Amino acid sequence: MNTKGLILIMLLIASMFTNAQQTELSGFVRTYEGINYKTGEFSIIQQTLNLNFAKSGDKVAFKANPMMFLYNADSLNFRMRELYLDMYFDNFDIRIGRQQVVWGKADGVFITDIVSPLNLTEFLLPDFDEIRMGVTAVKINYYIGNSTIEAIAIPQFTPTERPNDYSIWYIEPDFPAPPTFDWSKSEITPSIENTEVFLKYSAMTSKIDFEIMGGYTWDDNPAMHIQKEFDMSTGSPVLVGLNITPQHHRLGIGGGSFSTEIKGIILRGEAAYYNGKYFQTADPLATDALIQKDYLHYVVGLDFSIGSVKLSTQFIQQYIFDYDTMMDKTEFKNTATFLARYDMLRETLHLEIFSYIGLDDNDALIRPKITYDFDDSFSVLLGSNIFIGERAGMFGQYQDNSMIYAKIKYSF
Amino acid sequence: MINLKTIAAAILIIVAGFSANAQLTGTQIVEKAYNRATGDDQTSTLTMTLTNKQGKQRIREIMQFTKYLGEIEKSIMFFKSPADVKNTSFMSWSYDSDKNDDQWIYLPAIKKTKRISSDSKSDYFMGSDFTYDDLGDRKLNADTHKLLREETINEKACYVVESVSKDEEYMYTKTITWINKLNFIGVKKEFYDEDDDLLKVLTIKKYKEVSGFWVITNSEMKNVQKDHKTSIVLSNVEVNTGVSASKFTERMMMRGM
Repeated sequence: MNTKGLILIMLLIASMFTNAQQTELSGFVRTYEGINYKTGEFSIIQQTLNLNFAKSGDKVAFKANPMMFLYNADSLNFRMRELYLDMYFDNFDIRIGRQQVVWGKADGVFITDIVSPLNLTEFLLPDFDEIRMGVTAVKINYYIGNSTIEAIAIPQFTPTERPNDYSIWYIEPDFPAPPTFDWSKSEITPSIENTEVFLKYSAMTSKIDFEIMGGYTWDDNPAMHIQKEFDMSTGSPVLVGLNITPQHHRLGIGGGSFSTEIKGIILRGEAAYYNGKYFQTADPLATDALIQKDYLHYVVGLDFSIGSVKLSTQFIQQYIFDYDTMMDKTEFKNTATFLARYDMLRETLHLEIFSYIGLDDNDALIRPKITYDFDDSFSVLLGSNIFIGERAGMFGQYQDNSMIYAKIKYSF
Repeated sequence: MINLKTIAAAILIIVAGFSANAQLTGTQIVEKAYNRATGDDQTSTLTMTLTNKQGKQRIREIMQFTKYLGEIEKSIMFFKSPADVKNTSFMSWSYDSDKNDDQWIYLPAIKKTKRISSDSKSDYFMGSDFTYDDLGDRKLNADTHKLLREETINEKACYVVESVSKDEEYMYTKTITWINKLNFIGVKKEFYDEDDDLLKVLTIKKYKEVSGFWVITNSEMKNVQKDHKTSIVLSNVEVNTGVSASKFTERMMMRGM
């Protein structure tokens, strides 16, 4: 158990009850159980307590959002998703502290939405509001009418969180020789020099909403610097080991997004150009088996309705410039998403299916679910995560992890 | 499309400053109702109570602001309850011209403001008996209006006006509205479905004068086919308090009230 987290929550609760000023408390309690289709074993047993403490005034505000996840019997995972102070001025606001930042117009795809890293310990399965992690940052928003200039500085880099090697979501890399990892260069020391900076201009108009952004960041995913060890005792080199040094590198990003309505259909688009990303390569002449390339990542999407069914679809493409055929990644990567949602019984019964479709590997993640709201605070959800397709694909690799699950949630 | 003007007006149809006149046509009567004076801005707390045929109730509470800026009417709603939609906000810009409304919703869980289509006017609002169109500014020329008769209900002499949609696909084949001859406040409205059967009845239960403007403060929509009803009660109503135009921005949607 994380004692520090519990103490903090207790202090927050205590302060709420002892403080005469009214602090708002909201949140939810949720139980979430999933069973693997093939094995019949529980793939997840999770109880969640989410608390939101907030107080807002004319000039200042604060929010604290601790979340506790109890896994299996007594494995407690504590996350302080957000803990920040807001200061409001006439034309600008300042937010300091741990916060989540959401940019862009895409749904379920992270293109310009790269300020807050992701928690991928359960792949892409957590709700989108829970998959982002908070970053400790200073954010300044300057307002000009319906336009906003947003500047963010993140002195402490937080990488994407990945599954541990005992997790069902961990895919063991296929190495040609036994690897040895050196993690000494995987940490980024907080400093002025290592600060991540982001800038965004956004506008909301009657014709179109758009954002233009840029960032000088660290690649959330470390590049694997690989040194090969050869045994020369037989006269010809034999690969006997790999020394792998994960290391984060700087990344420059520029992009934008838009959203507009055309005859009742919402058209969305988002694109980002990534400068100097390290990719793995099989080129024997490449240093550390890495090669630096620029790439483009973009999405176009439509939201529309047919009768009372709400539909949304997106096409996503990633393209590597100046492609080298020895690179591990393909030159193009094409993905699509599809969402259909139908609300019935006065918005108490919700039917939904969401799907990621890998267009290159013919694989997919299909997520049907049905939610019934017994009342305004209590809901039951039954759903399934179905992974299909080739094991080489991003979704097909988890074909042994297809599951059916239930969530019961009480909001307050 | 949802805005205070019509939560207080289209629902109720208040026509101010016009004396009763038997020579009026149906269109003129409805036009006077639509063009009533409502002030430059309005603020109120809206409590919506949904009651099913078993008597079980669900309650939604919303803080709302509206401001009229020339040919644009801007409104913003902050959802206070139930818990699962708390701090969600909804903003709408409506235009006097034929331009479609612009609408956005801010979802606090995903911290995202999304532009949404204004094309779903026949959808029901938050599971209530009001569609977005019932609550919003339906354009005057979207229907053909005909004065059917004059009739007294609840001791009020009323014009009875039939409005037939020009769009054959519209969810109501017609509506019939009872409008008070003295103050031109709508007191009752019937909605007929595609089979021309009575579907819903809107009853204005209470209205009051705030800063010189009539505001409907209590109304009820009953679905007679489903035996389900929704009441809307407005409280803390303020008119012409000088609500800032900066209230109707993404900044405020995200920040809240």
